[in-house]
Amino acid sequence: MQTSQTMEIQKLDMAVGEDAAEAAAPRFFSAAQFATLQKLGGILTPARNGLPGALEAQAAEFLDFLIGQSPADRKQVYTKGLDALQAASVKKFGKGFAQLEQAQAATLLSPLRQAWTYEPPADPLARFLWAAKTDVRNATMQSKPYITAGGGGARRQGATGLYWHELD
Amino acid sequence: MASKTYDVLIIGSGASGGMAAHTLTKKGAECLLLEAGPQVDFNRARSLKNVYDLPYRGMGKPGRLSHVFQADEFNANQWVDEAQVPYTHDPANPYNWVRVRMLGGKSNFWARMSFRLSDYEFKAKDVDGFGENWPVSYAEMAPYYDVVEGIFRVMGRKEGLKQLPDGNFVEDRSPDGPLITRFGQASKKLGMTVTKIRRALGQGPLASSLNLLLPGAMETGKLTIVPNAVAREISYDKSGGRVTGVHFVDKRTGREMHAKARVVVVAASCLESTRLLLNSNIANSSGVLGRYLHDQFYIVRGVAALIPEAKGGKMGRGAAGSGYVPRAQNLNGKDKKYIRGYCFDLNTGNTPDTRFFPYFGEELEQKIDEWRGAGFSSTIMGEVLPRYENHVRIDKTVKDAWGIPVLNFQCKYTDNEFEMAKDAVETISGVCQELGWEVLNRNTKMFPPGYSIHELGTCRMGDNPKTSVLNKWNQSHDIKNLFVVDGSSFVTGGGQNPTMTILALSMRASEYMAEQMNKKEL
Repeated sequence: MQTSQTMEIQKLDMAVGEDAAEAAAPRFFSAAQFATLQKLGGILTPARNGLPGALEAQAAEFLDFLIGQSPADRKQVYTKGLDALQAASVKKFGKGFAQLEQAQAATLLSPLRQAWTYEPPADPLARFLWAAKTDVRNATMQSKPYITAGGGGARRQGATGLYWHELD
Repeated sequence: MASKTYDVLIIGSGASGGMAAHTLTKKGAECLLLEAGPQVDFNRARSLKNVYDLPYRGMGKPGRLSHVFQADEFNANQWVDEAQVPYTHDPANPYNWVRVRMLGGKSNFWARMSFRLSDYEFKAKDVDGFGENWPVSYAEMAPYYDVVEGIFRVMGRKEGLKQLPDGNFVEDRSPDGPLITRFGQASKKLGMTVTKIRRALGQGPLASSLNLLLPGAMETGKLTIVPNAVAREISYDKSGGRVTGVHFVDKRTGREMHAKARVVVVAASCLESTRLLLNSNIANSSGVLGRYLHDQFYIVRGVAALIPEAKGGKMGRGAAGSGYVPRAQNLNGKDKKYIRGYCFDLNTGNTPDTRFFPYFGEELEQKIDEWRGAGFSSTIMGEVLPRYENHVRIDKTVKDAWGIPVLNFQCKYTDNEFEMAKDAVETISGVCQELGWEVLNRNTKMFPPGYSIHELGTCRMGDNPKTSVLNKWNQSHDIKNLFVVDGSSFVTGGGQNPTMTILALSMRASEYMAEQMNKKEL
């Protein structure tokens, strides 16, 4: 007859998918939108002080996944905004945003120099840039490359937290 | 198995239900308490994780808990699943209904802000003519606040303010930080008082029904708790004009059950209580059940500023401080464009939200480094007028996971709240500017109603059965053995967090119940 016993089983360290595999090619954004977002990410959250930036943290790859799962209005903020940024670049410089020099690209980001308001701007480019500023920074500073390199994480509580499992 | 008839059946185990169980069992009543959620083992339910180990890097699963701004990827499972227990509203007028279903309810997670109401709320109509007075006065409530504050170990500093009465405090003798002191000196000229935040210390890690109220009730041997019991409908004997118990469904199995009691206490949280009464089609001869929904509007970090003297870490940890400013408006009638007033908290020594900095890239990061720990922020908590038009009703077209019709919300803020918000932001940012602090953000736009998790009213008390649902003892005007003891009974809410008042009301009503039961009047 089996008796009740405490089972001592060694807990094994597990990796997450991002440790072991590359993200699939962009599934939500078009190639042009993705290239624009990648370039923008590098400008919004660059590598600094030995810590990775958006490019190294693969923030654009992560946002392709996150935004692709998001409600329609959030998707539209990104797609319309990325298209508007690309169009503004072609109009002003005759080439796509991803091909611009850093200084050229920065001239198209003037909405980020406006004071923040609770209601997001009506202009699709400004609205997108405001969203991307926060999302790219979080996607970078809450990534494993950033935190394991010594970054504290963008969350106010830091890089770790008490996770609530699903309740019975 | 034949079920027994309990003296009292309590629906809900949060602050109000826990206090009812605590008080009634000590008076000798045999109580059955039903809780819609599970009993949670906090040690097993939570574990420490790195943010990058979460599937969405801590940014949350898109579309989940869209009304719960407090939710993040770490705590998402602690809130009620909106797909399981939905509600409806006009898309143009959203309501953020934030719910918890587990033993102890929201008292497991509250911010512990512990304030008394005053006669500026209990007798608000006498001050400005709007709405109704409560059927109780501050003097009648004060002894109950005293006891509740003792149980919850409320820490605070006495100020002698009529609009924020002092309590039975664990005295807070800590000095204000230098920046809070400066703010206090500047704001005094405007008639404002900066005091310490009054906060429940509780015992150990919690200040909850779970550790402060229910254990004592269990020790009496008079309390039976059934978790995962979702109340469907209160049973009512038309011939006798009495409630007889409640039909509930076992959350895990779907099994339908009925529990019997001589007295029913509804304490399911403000809007779940009203939903249950509306679905039971009882206690509404007045027609005001579901009406006068109100709360406090919140503008989180409505004013954010940079403090030059703390820039570059010059003050170190000495910059840190917090405080609370009680209502200072319309205390002598009407001297503003609006009636009633607002409270706000103060926080210095923080790092401002990156959104508020009009920079990006390297320049943004440099600014954040410069101003780290040199920020000021204030969250505004304004009184919302209880209006007949703001209400909930049953939406029969939508049902929850157990087939129970859901609530439809018809609620929006009006000019009184908007004017109050503008005045609050102007006043606070004016003080900052006088101090030479650089105002970075001035936001007068509040979150949608419900955000504060202080939903109140919809089952209000009053002396007149034609305009109120409950009498001064939280007892139904229509049905003598039915009591509703949570925030739904509020007549007005002030700007103060309501938990202390909910606890005091529940204790007071429960003592009355016990007395009436002893006299065989119930």
